Amino acid sequence: MKSPAATRTKKPRAGKSLAGLEKEKKKLNEYIRDKVNQLLTVMGTKALDEHELDESDFLQLDPIGIIALSFEQVLEHLKETNKSLGVAKNQLQAVFDTAGVCISIVDSDMRIVNCNEKQKELLVSDRDEIIGHHCYEVYCGKESPSLDCPAIETLATGRPVLVREVKKKSRHFQIVTSALKDKAGNITGVIEVSMDVTEKKKAEEAMRQAEKLSAIGLLAAGVAHELNNPLGNILGYALLALKDPALQADQREKLEIIVEQAKKGSEIVKGLLNFSRQSQPLFEEISIEDVIRKALKNLSSRLLAQSVEVTLDIGDMPRVMADPKQMEIVLMNLLINSMQALEGRPDGLIKIAAGKKDGFLEVSIKDNGPGIPKELLPDIFDPFCTTKPVGQGVGLGLSICSGIIKKHNGSISAGSAEGAVFAFAIPLERKN
Amino acid sequence: MTKDIMLDIRGQICPACLLITLREIANNKFSLKRGQSRLVVKTDHRDATRTIPGAAVSMGYETRTEKTDGYYEITIEYRK
Repeated sequence: MKSPAATRTKKPRAGKSLAGLEKEKKKLNEYIRDKVNQLLTVMGTKALDEHELDESDFLQLDPIGIIALSFEQVLEHLKETNKSLGVAKNQLQAVFDTAGVCISIVDSDMRIVNCNEKQKELLVSDRDEIIGHHCYEVYCGKESPSLDCPAIETLATGRPVLVREVKKKSRHFQIVTSALKDKAGNITGVIEVSMDVTEKKKAEEAMRQAEKLSAIGLLAAGVAHELNNPLGNILGYALLALKDPALQADQREKLEIIVEQAKKGSEIVKGLLNFSRQSQPLFEEISIEDVIRKALKNLSSRLLAQSVEVTLDIGDMPRVMADPKQMEIVLMNLLINSMQALEGRPDGLIKIAAGKKDGFLEVSIKDNGPGIPKELLPDIFDPFCTTKPVGQGVGLGLSICSGIIKKHNGSISAGSAEGAVFAFAIPLERKN
Repeated sequence: MTKDIMLDIRGQICPACLLITLREIANNKFSLKRGQSRLVVKTDHRDATRTIPGAAVSMGYETRTEKTDGYYEITIEYRK
């Protein structure tokens, strides 16, 4: 239908016939009815029937006026709804971003639609562009999804999938995927929620380690106790027998071997007992420099005999709360360890350094020996981990050191670079 | 206290039903929006039970339709 504007282009001339005016009025009415019908369809109802409302009823009802007022309310409602949606969106985004778990939404093509801050922090530290990229590429660093990918399974079945543990970017995650569906029930994507369980795993590992150490401690104490008496008897009788003036040279030599081996056995038993009797530290204010110097004094004759040079680099350090006897055990063990590594070397050198670092007092002992084999480093503080020949130690020294430092709320580490480096750190201020 | 505004359009068919109801909503917009009144429409035209609630909801109102003896009663009210 032509718009009335088109009709109006021809202005009714004065003296236009009544029939012509009636015709124009009818056209105008038809135009209004047509537009009203369009608006009614928008309002959600069917069009006006020609015979439903006659011309006079139709004009009297003022449909355009009514619909205009209704549209005004529709617009008001839409504005309010938009405002509420904006607020809800912001609140949802805040919850999304502050959630303690990683959340990511991917589409059916496995492209990332959205992800929260935690996800970016833990899994996307190395890139800026995330949205629109494939999740397996961004989160897993792969060119295609792996066969056991939970998102693939959820996309295929629509069912949620729980993966108890996945290692991604050096951290451990527990992942749950659930399907996103449209109104018709078609799967349109996947929500992937990953919980970082790295700390929990570490705590479980520490607990397992503690239980293992406790069991080994009990066993060591039992074995040490049972061996101590027979060893004492062997040593005692061998020493007694050595006093016999009638002994022949070869007999004396054999008895001396018995004494020497019994003493070695006693040292091992002593080590086992030390390991099993790791007690709570008795804290007092000490100077770590005094402890280092005391340990060096205790070992001075052996250091001299082995021609090992020792350098000290000790900065200005405050006194700390620690158990002096236990600290001495740690230093003695680490120094003996270095000395054993330097046996047979004419240019043996041990560098001891101590200083403050990030609220901790750090002591490092470095030697120029052969170093620690790389494969041994992860287990170096485990009991009975040793590279020494049989009879020269059972591998309890470093385990004892580790136990003592942990009880001081500190940390101990081992490294290997042109020799071995052991370092431990204890807090400058002790917390109750 | 909420006042009921009664609108009896029994005998009317769509779209007149809808237009009359929309006019009543527009005339009572302020008292409806303030929760001072609610509009109760009586209609015997089944189509109106779909068109009236549809239009009212798009304007932000809540509706409830009940079938009574031979006609429908559509209650339209505003809830923040």
